[in-house]
Order: sequence, then structure tokens, then C-alpha cells
Amino acid sequence: MSADVVVLGAGLSGLTAALRLAEGGLRTVLVAQGVGATHLAPPTIDVLGYDPELVESPAQALPAFAAAHADHPYARISAETVAAGIGWFRDKVPGLGYVGSLDENLLVPTAVGAAKPTAIVPEAMAAGDLRSGGRFVFVGLRAFKSFYPAYLAENLCRAKLSSGATVEARGIQLNDPGQEPDVTCMEYARQFERPEFRKAVTSELLPQLQAEEKVGFPSVLGLDDHRAVWQELQDVLQRPVFEVPSLPPSVPGIRLFRALRKALRSAGGRLVLGPVAVGAETSNGTVDALVVQASANRPTTYAAKWFVLATGGFATGAIDLDSFGEVRETVLGLPVAGVPDVEALRFSPGYFEDHPMARAGLAVDEHLRPVDADGNPAFGNVYAVGAVLGGAEPWREHSGNGLAIATGFAAASEILEGAS
Amino acid sequence: MTKLQTEVLVIGGGSTGLGVVRDAAMRGFATVLVDRSDLATGTTGRFHGLLHSGGRYVVKDPKAAEECIHENRILRKIAADVIEDTGGYFLTTPIDDPEFADKFVEGCRATDVPCEEVPVAEVLRKEPRLNPGITRAFAVPDGSLDSWKMVWACARSAEANGARILTYHEVLRMIVEGGAVKGAVVRDNRSGEEVQIDADFVVNASGAWAGKLAEMAGCEVTVFPGKGIMVAMNHRLVNTVVNRCSMPSDGDIIVPARGVAVIGTTDVKVADPDEWEITREEVQKMLSAGENLVPGFRQARALRVWGGVRPLYQEKVDSADTRDVTRAHALLNHRTRDGVERFVTITGGKFCTLRLMAEETMDAVCGELGVQRPCRTADEPLPDSEEKRYYWLGARVQQREETLHQDQLICECEFVPRRGLEAAMLRRPTTNLDDIRRVLRLGMGPCQGGFCIYRATGILHQLQTISSSVANRSLLDFLQERWKGVRPALYGDQLRQVRLDEWIYQGVLNVGHLPADEAQGSGREEVKT
Amino acid sequence: METMELVRGSLDHCVKCTICETFCPVSNVTPLFPGPKYVGPQAERLRTGEGSPDASLDYCSACGICTFVCPQGVKVAEINAKARAAMKAEHGVPLRDRLIARTTLMGKLGTPVAPVANWFFGNQPLRRLVEKTVKVHHEAPMPRYAGRTFQSWARSHTPLQDAAHAVVLFHGCNINYFEPKLGEMAVAVLEHNGLRVLIPPQECCGLPLQSNGLFDDARSYIRKLTQSFLPYANRGYEVLAMSTSCGLMLKREAREMLDLQDDEDLKTVSAHTYDICEFLLALHDHGELKTDFKPLPMTVTYHPPCQLMGHWMGKPALDLFALIPELKVEETDAECCGMAGTYGLKAEKYDIAMAVGAPVFQQVKDVRPDLVASDGETCRWQIQKATGVESVHPVEVLYKAYGLGG
Repeated sequence: MSADVVVLGAGLSGLTAALRLAEGGLRTVLVAQGVGATHLAPPTIDVLGYDPELVESPAQALPAFAAAHADHPYARISAETVAAGIGWFRDKVPGLGYVGSLDENLLVPTAVGAAKPTAIVPEAMAAGDLRSGGRFVFVGLRAFKSFYPAYLAENLCRAKLSSGATVEARGIQLNDPGQEPDVTCMEYARQFERPEFRKAVTSELLPQLQAEEKVGFPSVLGLDDHRAVWQELQDVLQRPVFEVPSLPPSVPGIRLFRALRKALRSAGGRLVLGPVAVGAETSNGTVDALVVQASANRPTTYAAKWFVLATGGFATGAIDLDSFGEVRETVLGLPVAGVPDVEALRFSPGYFEDHPMARAGLAVDEHLRPVDADGNPAFGNVYAVGAVLGGAEPWREHSGNGLAIATGFAAASEILEGAS
Repeated sequence: MTKLQTEVLVIGGGSTGLGVVRDAAMRGFATVLVDRSDLATGTTGRFHGLLHSGGRYVVKDPKAAEECIHENRILRKIAADVIEDTGGYFLTTPIDDPEFADKFVEGCRATDVPCEEVPVAEVLRKEPRLNPGITRAFAVPDGSLDSWKMVWACARSAEANGARILTYHEVLRMIVEGGAVKGAVVRDNRSGEEVQIDADFVVNASGAWAGKLAEMAGCEVTVFPGKGIMVAMNHRLVNTVVNRCSMPSDGDIIVPARGVAVIGTTDVKVADPDEWEITREEVQKMLSAGENLVPGFRQARALRVWGGVRPLYQEKVDSADTRDVTRAHALLNHRTRDGVERFVTITGGKFCTLRLMAEETMDAVCGELGVQRPCRTADEPLPDSEEKRYYWLGARVQQREETLHQDQLICECEFVPRRGLEAAMLRRPTTNLDDIRRVLRLGMGPCQGGFCIYRATGILHQLQTISSSVANRSLLDFLQERWKGVRPALYGDQLRQVRLDEWIYQGVLNVGHLPADEAQGSGREEVKT
Repeated sequence: METMELVRGSLDHCVKCTICETFCPVSNVTPLFPGPKYVGPQAERLRTGEGSPDASLDYCSACGICTFVCPQGVKVAEINAKARAAMKAEHGVPLRDRLIARTTLMGKLGTPVAPVANWFFGNQPLRRLVEKTVKVHHEAPMPRYAGRTFQSWARSHTPLQDAAHAVVLFHGCNINYFEPKLGEMAVAVLEHNGLRVLIPPQECCGLPLQSNGLFDDARSYIRKLTQSFLPYANRGYEVLAMSTSCGLMLKREAREMLDLQDDEDLKTVSAHTYDICEFLLALHDHGELKTDFKPLPMTVTYHPPCQLMGHWMGKPALDLFALIPELKVEETDAECCGMAGTYGLKAEKYDIAMAVGAPVFQQVKDVRPDLVASDGETCRWQIQKATGVESVHPVEVLYKAYGLGG
């Protein structure tokens, strides 16, 4: 199979890159072993949340952060590119109604009741913003095992906000209709799309609500008809309603995946799920084709002019640490930067301590091309985006989706520029 | 200070202590057991779970082999629910001296350990992952046993016979008057309250810690803590216990234990049972040893590593390799040995001989007290073992199938349902999720609590009406406890899992920034392994 | 390592992310099936190979989507299939499953008496009787016997003589007994592109047997089929599968599910097996596909079968349709039509299958296309039955666009 660009990996960075490339007019194929992390985490666009203290304005913090972290992907792309990428992205998924900006982080409640800094959130999460305090009520569903409103609320009441504002919060456990005791978030999302179910929920909830309370639900408020579901709940309950993300899978994340898949399809991009990338055909410092293990007993090649690695990091096995302690990038055998010596401390004894191995990943040049130890690009036409990049700990920095979008956008822009 | 009065005080809540408290209670003694922590948190909860046939010792330590097979037969009668009847093989692998096999057969005959040579092809058919280079194979009645279930069963049996079991009660000092031990002063480690326990007789069953306890009564007992590490693999690479047919050495046993396969072990003398760590070399040694028994072992997923310290006792030992110390147990009568009356120490031995050790101990106690009360532990089955049905691996899935539409599944890896979890939380009021883990195997599967820690914390908060601050501590402590075990063998698939778990707890839930102080403390301290 | 261990061992890659469960068409519509992760990598850790304690496993439709979406490489569907086979080996396979799993036999029996057979399957009182006795749902779609076989047509058909390249057509049972005309169209499309089409005698691939847990029988069928194609594969000819599921069987499933990972003959045939649209698209990639398509001013709703996704090749039919002027193509959003081979025939599963397929049917009804195109025959039966819209193989659309129908 041949195309202009092959993007490897169907997480947020891969989808972003592929969509931008396809929209830019290149014949784009996105190849992935399976579905990516969009299904697991909420689609909040975290750009920078901690450094290591709470970051109030990502836009202001980014330049200094990049300067202080020379190996961080943010040190490879400008703050303007980050902003441009995220702006572009928001426009591509209007259905999610993203709100917020890079100027100021919101603070949204998590399912344990911690306040999480994030720059941009889907509209249905925005009313959960805690920065100016207020009264909140969190609603548990009868058969949903991944949401504990009383615990969440009690922690939130103790939140220390820089504004000095206070949070008043409480939990309510609903006895919503249904017999099954163990109902998944997917099933609840479908239930919420049924008017009868919504009616049952609102009539049970309404008498229990107090003045000025904003209402937080687990993030299961519909899938395809989410916006209508959310708006109707606000209308009937006559107050702001918001979603609180919890354990995977993430219904809001799935909404984002579906929106991106649809956009990619409309833009003429192709999505091939299933094959495992096993190597590449190369010549003169360029990759000519990606080799994948097909379903049949033969390798299949995807020839292209450019390749984007959006394969993920240790979490997907794109970067593998084996039982002997060796680290390798599994598709192209690219050099992995930031790997501590096998005898050195790699993982610390304390869970929250610094784990030097956590930041291992691909090092890239300013075009986002993976480089060797001397800083030279390993291949002239290979770009790397998202979690495969080293130097970051997105789950601690709260920079995950921001990095994915910004690097995916930046690499695609580089390629489009080269193509024109 | 609160005072308690009892006839027999047992110190140590491991297998030895639980064996003794059951035996004592069944002989009609008023009995109290104390442990500084929860039950089975020491060596007992940290072994590979092998029900020895005795095969391992037939050449090297025939006395231990005889004890093993004797107790193996009794345990199968009284503790079937604790045992999975996997059977065991002794295998001559390519690195083993082929001549050992004949000595092994001879040893089995001499010690009455049943042993039957099996065609290698048949073994490979049954266990296709084993090394095809195996040249001889012998079947023995090894099995897999669940140390926690055994301990809970003994505790329930003891309590049913009137015993009191006080966990989190640490001995501060022994009460010694007129050359006799009269009891001990203990502190409730949760409330801080001190309790004086007056007893007619004290049994020191504190395993690797026996020297420290004996010293409080002025007796010198030298126990060699022998560290052994084990690696749990994510699924059962074998369904039968496999042993190398050779002199005991490192990493020569794989035990299919519940959903995992455990490879063990090492044996290294350590100075202090509380101060030691797992080294990279030890883990590498286990993985390479696994590769010899099961080719591809290193590509399989390692779940967790842990270590335990065997209490090895011998009056005189100067070897650094504690494997040369006998596995037989030692009963020290401190009246004859040290001139301290009403006090014995029972130490050494193996999990499998817990009942026998208790019987001998209580025979000695009866002798010292001048009473005649026969031992009944070999005949009366433990709770849940009355029907003499062996534990079956599929039991939890079957239970789940029966309650599919009645209950929630909280820990999905280990099939822990919500009602079971709530019942356990109510039965043993604790805010320590690790204590719940040992009862239910909560968080012990592949994701190591990735999904259930949050759920269990929410349920705990709801059920125990604890503050969110205490609940946060439970959550963070459990995260740390799980991390402790995965860290030494963190590679391949388990690293993928840890990374996902980090995304969940730090990225999505942001537990690193829970309110107030408790988020700061846990997980940052250097926790002793 | 044996295949069993390759499949079972893949459970080590499961990180419990639950992506498979969000996609599972069955667990998404019924609580009777606790989901692919549950019966797959999760329960598998607690199985010893001696039968499985989870009867709910049988509600898996074997569509294979779980394996296909798993980002970690867990062979979820394969683990389930093996566990189910072990369960059936213990409890026995019902007569119904033994019957519907023998496509060749059903074909051979029905063809000479096609009018009677078609009347029988179209007769509701009789179908209710069938439902009572052999538990095949009376509403479940049944193909119509053509009354002749594709093989008999092939024997009288003269292949293109001066072709530079030859291919082998793996037409499968469906074309042989129920849709011989489709086989003729495929031959016409291939010949239009200058290919010599060889059609050796061939029988069932064994897939229905496999998906009903009859592994031993399935193994002997696939071995026999392998021998039908082996001489051609050895000469380097491509084997073009007209049925996605049967093609997948040759490519991958038989090797993984039936412990045939080391069967050299099967590996050779697998290496040469292509889905027909995959092959045509590859021709196009090499600039060898004729693109003299005439405008086809119609709307087609395309439904990619679950088993097609298991080919890990994307949706080649969509890419081919994009070459046809004026053809408006709409793809279905839902993953599965519910049929999943023989699943939707079974009385106790019919309602689940219809619930699974409901979003697909709804979309077809909303779009009101001129045609539905789908690569899988059972999907076509299911969608056509449920929506009344004529459902065809993508090759038929190409055939029309080439103007080959005259």
C-alpha cells in the first residue's frame, strides 16, 4: 500500500497529526495496532498543570518551563505553535464545545475530590471549575461502581484555593431505575440518552437539590446525543450541570475519538487498525516503507514519503524495557534518550518519588525528527509525536493531551510545509 | 492499664502461632494470641505456597522429608479448602546431574514419600510450557496452599474454641517474676493503649523475631533470618508444582498459586528480619532459573516480587549459606535450657509442619503445667474444610457467574465482589486496605489495584464512616504497598500496567494533590521492604 | 511454543484498559454477556484447561472486534473461542450447532431440491417448528438456494487465455450454493482487469464448525481446503477470498484458533491469501487496476463486517468505491450487524443479534440507500432481512460500475 504519509498510532497525537495531514491534502493512512488512549482518559486539554507547583497560566509558564527543561518536548516547539495547534484542534471538534484558554488553568474536581488544573475542557465539564468556590452537589448512580460522591465531596470541601474561596460540596446517591447491579459507564451513557431515564433521574434528584448548587455527575451523560442530554439536564434541574471523569474507560474520551475518526474519514484519511509494525525498509537515511505483520502470513509494506511515529511510550510497549533491563524503541530501533544505567536508580522506592526511567523516550530535533546521541536525525523523513517523546512526565505535569495535540499538529505542519 | 487474664499467651500471628493457638484452645486452655501487626504479615504471608510432599528434602534432610509427608497427609484431611491438589513433578532439567534422580527415588522410598516416574512426553503434554530438554520426571503429592486462608481458618477455629486473637498488639516487655514468665505487657498499636496480659504460660511463636522476644525474658536464642525472594508471574505457566530434581538451590521451584505462578526462592542470611532488601541480582537469578524450567519465562509477565525471612534455628551455625541449616523445627524449653519457667520458644520449621509444631509445643506446655490434655488437631477439619473438597481455581469465577446479576465486581482481576468486600470490611474493622487484601486478594491481580483501589477506598469511606482524610491515607498507603512489590521486577508488560495506573491515579484522579497533609506523607518515605 | 500458549500467553499483555468492552457489540446490548475482558484475559487466568466455570462465555458472538481494537495485542476473541471449545467439549455441542455448522452439507442437500428447500425456509409455521425442535429462530434470515452450483458454472467457463497473471478464486460455500451469480461477477471483474481466474473445486473452510466449538472437525476441513489451494500458492498465485470470514480463516484464524501455527501448508496458503477487494486495491496501488468506471449515480451504504476488520487492512472496498464517479457512499457507524456468522440464527441469541444490529438497520433506514454493500454474506442476509434494502457484495458494485452487466 502506498500513501504520502503514514501515521503510526491511533491515540490523540496520531489522530491529530493524521487529521491535519489529510486536511492539508496529503494522502494519509493511519495505521495502529488498536485504539489508543482517547478511550481511557477524559479529553481535557491539559497543557501544563504543575511545575512542580500549581501552574495558574500555562501561556505564561510555558516559555520558562521550556527553558528550564531542555529535554522536554515543549523545548522543541514554540509556545505559539502550542497555542496554534490547540486552537486548530478546537475548531476541528466543534461538537465537544471546548471552553477555556491557555491564559488560565481551570481547576476541575476529580473523582477522588482533588482539584485538577487543566487549560481547556469540554463544555460539559466547565461548570465544575472550582476556582471561585461555590456550592456543589455530586450525584452517584445506583449501579455505577467507579464514582463515590460523598468521598469526593468531603475532600473537595477541604480544597485550599489560591483565591481564598471555599468549596461547599456534598454527595447524593441516587436509586435510579434498573435491576442490574453492575452497570458500566457505556451502558449508563446509553441510558441517559433515553428520555424516560432522564426523567426518572431528574425527578428523583430535583427535590433533593439546594439553592445555588451546581450538579456534578459521573461522566456518563450520553454518547452520541451527549450535548442534548447535558442541556436538557441543565434545563430541567435549572442549574449548571457538569461531568466528573473517573476510572477508564472514558465516555467523554470516546466522544472525542468518534469525532476525530469522523473528521479523518471526511478529510479522506484512511484508518487501518490491527497490524503490528515490525520494522521498516530504509535507504540512504530515509524510511521508504513501514513493514507490518498482516493478518495473513506475510509482511505488508506501507510505502510513503513521510512517517509519523505516534506509538506511545512505555504504556503501549512502543518503548520497551526488557527483563534484562535493556530499553529499545520497538518499531524502528531508534535511540532512546534518558535511560539511566542498568545499575543506577531507575525507579525509586517511594511511589511519588522521582523515577528517572519515567522520562526515557525519543529525543527529537526542532522539526520533531528523532535524533541520535549526536543530535542528528535518525531518518530525514520520520517524525515523532506524543507519549513516545522523552523528557516529559505528562501524568505528573498534567500536560498529556496538550503535548499530544501540540506535537501532532507541529509535526504535521512540518510535513505540510515540506510538501508544498 | 487494662488487664487481661489467660492461661496460655501465644506471641506471634504467623502460621506457627496460629497453629499453637488453635491447638491450645482445642485442648481447652483459655488462650490469647497477640501480634504487633495483622495476622500473617511476616514470613507466613511471604512464602511460595508450596504444600511440600517432602520430595525436596528426601536426599538432603530426610527427617524434614518425613515430617513433610506426614503433615501433608494430615493437612489434606483437615484443610482441603486451603489446598489445591495440583500434584508436583521433580524434573531432571538439562542443567541437573542426571545421577541425582536415582538418589531421589531411593530417598523417597526411605522416607515414605510417594513417587512415581512419569514418561517425559506425558509431562510435556500436560505442561506444554516446560523445557522439552527434560530427561526424567517424577510425580509426587506436592500441592499448592493458600497461607492466608490457612491462617484465617486456624484463627476461626481457635476463636470458636474460646481463644482471643489480638492483632496490632505489640509486646513491649515480658513480665518475669521469680524465675518464671507471668505474662506480657502489650500496646495496641492503633489506639496506643497498653494492656497487661497475665498468663500461666507464654509460648514464643514469633518466628524470625523469636530471638528478640526471648531476650525480653532474659533468654538468648539465636535465630538466623534466612531471606528468600519469590517472583509471581502473571498467570499460571504451569498447573502442576514443578521442582528441579537436584539438591535444593535457588529458583528451583515453580508453584501454581491461585491465578499466578510463583518461582522461588533464594536463601541468604540477613542480620535483622526487619532490615533487608531485594537486589537486582536476586531477581535476575530467579528469571534465569525460570527460563531453565519454562523457556520463554523472561518474556512472560512478572507481576510482583516479594521476600520473606525464614526463621532458621540451630544451636550452633557458622555458615553464611543458611540453606545448610536444617529445615526441622526447634522447641526450646526455657526452664531446662535457661532456667526460666513457664516459657517455651517454638521456631524453625516450615509452613507445612505448623500443626505438628503446635502439637509438640502444647504437649510440652501440658507437661510443664502437669496436665494431660490430648491433641485433637489432626482429626478435626478446619472451618470450610469439613467436606474435604480441595480448593478449585475456578471457584471464584463460578461464584461470580452465580451472582452476575446480583452483585458488583470491585476487583476485576481477582473476582472480588462488592458484598464480599463489604462483609470483610465489617468483619475486620480496619482502614488498612492491605489487611483486606490478605483476606480477599484485593488488588493482587495483573493491574495491582489499578482499578479497585479507588473503588475500595470509596466503599471503605462509605461503610466505615471514616473521614476522607483517613480514606485518603488508606488509598495512598495501598498505592505505595502495591508499588513496593512491582518495583523490583518492573519491565515489559507490567511496566505498561504501571504506566496506565500512573495515568489513572496521578493524571486523571490527581491523588498526588489531595487536600491537606496526608497526600504529602505517604509514598515519599523510604519504605522498608 | 504451541498455539494454545501463544494465544493464552497473550493475556499477559492485558492492562485491563477495557477498550475491548467499550467496543463489544454484545455486552453493549445485554447484561447476559459480561464482556470480552471478563471472559477473556480475566477469567482465563483462573482456568486450568479442564472446562470453564463461566457459562456466560457462550454469549460471545465471536465477532473478533475485541482483538482488533486491543492496543496491547491481547488475543481476546481467540482466548474466548478456545475456552468455549473446551467448555463444549465437556458439555457437548447441541444438534442445532452441529447442523448449522456444516455449510457444505447443507448446500449439497438443499441444492437439488432448491424450490422445496426455499419454500421450507420461507414458511413461517414450518420455521416455528424448526425453532421448537432445533432452536433456530423462525425470523432469522436464511439464504435462498440457487438451485445450481457455482462450481458447475466454473467447469463450463473458459478462463482468459492470454493473461499475464493468474489468480485463484476462493468462492466459498455461499457463492457455490446461494449466490453463484456473484461468483460470475467476480470472475468478470477480474477478467476485465486481464486476469486469468482459476476456480479449483473447494469445500467449506471449517469456520462455522470452529465458531461452534467443533475444533477437530474444523481442523480437518481447513486442512482439506488448504490442499485445494496449495499447488497454486506454491506457484505464487494469489488466492482471492470472496467471503471475509472464510478468507480470514485461511489467513490467520485457523492457525491461531486450531493450533495450526506450525502447519507449513497452511502457512504457505495463508501467505498468498487476499480478500478480493484488498487484492483489487493493491492492483490499483500498482497502477494496474482498470479505472474505466462509468458514473454510478446512486447511494450505497457500506457496512464493513467485523471479520473484515480482523484482516487488519482497513476497508479496501471504500477506497475502491472512491474511484467510481457519482457514487455516493455512506459508511455505517455501528460496528456490527449482529449476525456474526451463525450467532443470529440461534433462537436464544436472535434478540441479542437484532439489538446489536439495530443501529445499523436504523442508519440504513434513515439514509434509504439504493443498495447496501457488505463483504460478508451473513451480514448481507441480516441487513437485507432487517431493512428490506438489497444488500450486495462490493464486487457487485464494481461490476455495475465497469458496465459488465451489459
